[in-house]
Amino acid sequence: MQGNVVVLIVALLVWALLFLYLLRLERRVKELEKR
Amino acid sequence: MIWRIGLGLWIAGGLVAAFLWAPLVPVLEETTRVLYFHIPTAWVTVVALGWSMVHSVLYLRRRRMEHDHQAAAAAEIGILFCVAATVSGSVWAKAMWGAYWNWDPRETTIFFLLLVYGAYLALRSAFDDEERRARLAAVYSAAAFVAVPFLMFVVPRLYFSLHPDPIVNPRGKLDMDPRIRLVFYAMLVGFTGLYFWMQSLRVRVARLQRRQHET
Repeated sequence: MQGNVVVLIVALLVWALLFLYLLRLERRVKELEKR
Repeated sequence: MIWRIGLGLWIAGGLVAAFLWAPLVPVLEETTRVLYFHIPTAWVTVVALGWSMVHSVLYLRRRRMEHDHQAAAAAEIGILFCVAATVSGSVWAKAMWGAYWNWDPRETTIFFLLLVYGAYLALRSAFDDEERRARLAAVYSAAAFVAVPFLMFVVPRLYFSLHPDPIVNPRGKLDMDPRIRLVFYAMLVGFTGLYFWMQSLRVRVARLQRRQHET
């Protein structure tokens, strides 16, 4: 169970990083489209 | 923006449910959880390569660069998800079969698929003239997709494989615990949403690059 929680936290962290990267990219693309 | 936040929470919820709520399959034990990542990535690979084929055909009919952007983006993302499916499958194979790579029919066919679409990217990078590149890439992509159903669904079933049975068994039924099924479908939907978000971003970047190139 302890190992599961550690792997889950790592998986959530990886997903959060990817998600934030995509959000940042989305914002940047929107800015460039407005120019 | 709201649907993107919803997608983020949806996949995060799927991960939590996969680790803390869904039961394990007796034979697979802890490796059961790879199911919620490996199959959705393989599914998105087929969706993306199919999307690439559809837009390649549309490009050949209408000659609009928008279709070329869509086809190229879909192939790039399809390859990315195919690599993710291959890596997650290899990690699972190490745990279950004792080696990362065994040249099992499924491993061999996914390797060929990567070669076929790797060649698509090589073909695209070989031409500077965008009309010529778009035309040849569209012909290649439309033809290459013919191999996808054979490599993903037909060939692995023709030969003996250690790979677990497909999710939908030969009787056309889903042999799954209802909780596993729910998390599995949720991840399938989540990954499909993630693919279309990535596709939209890549196409918009391609449009911006084209606009910059023209000015």
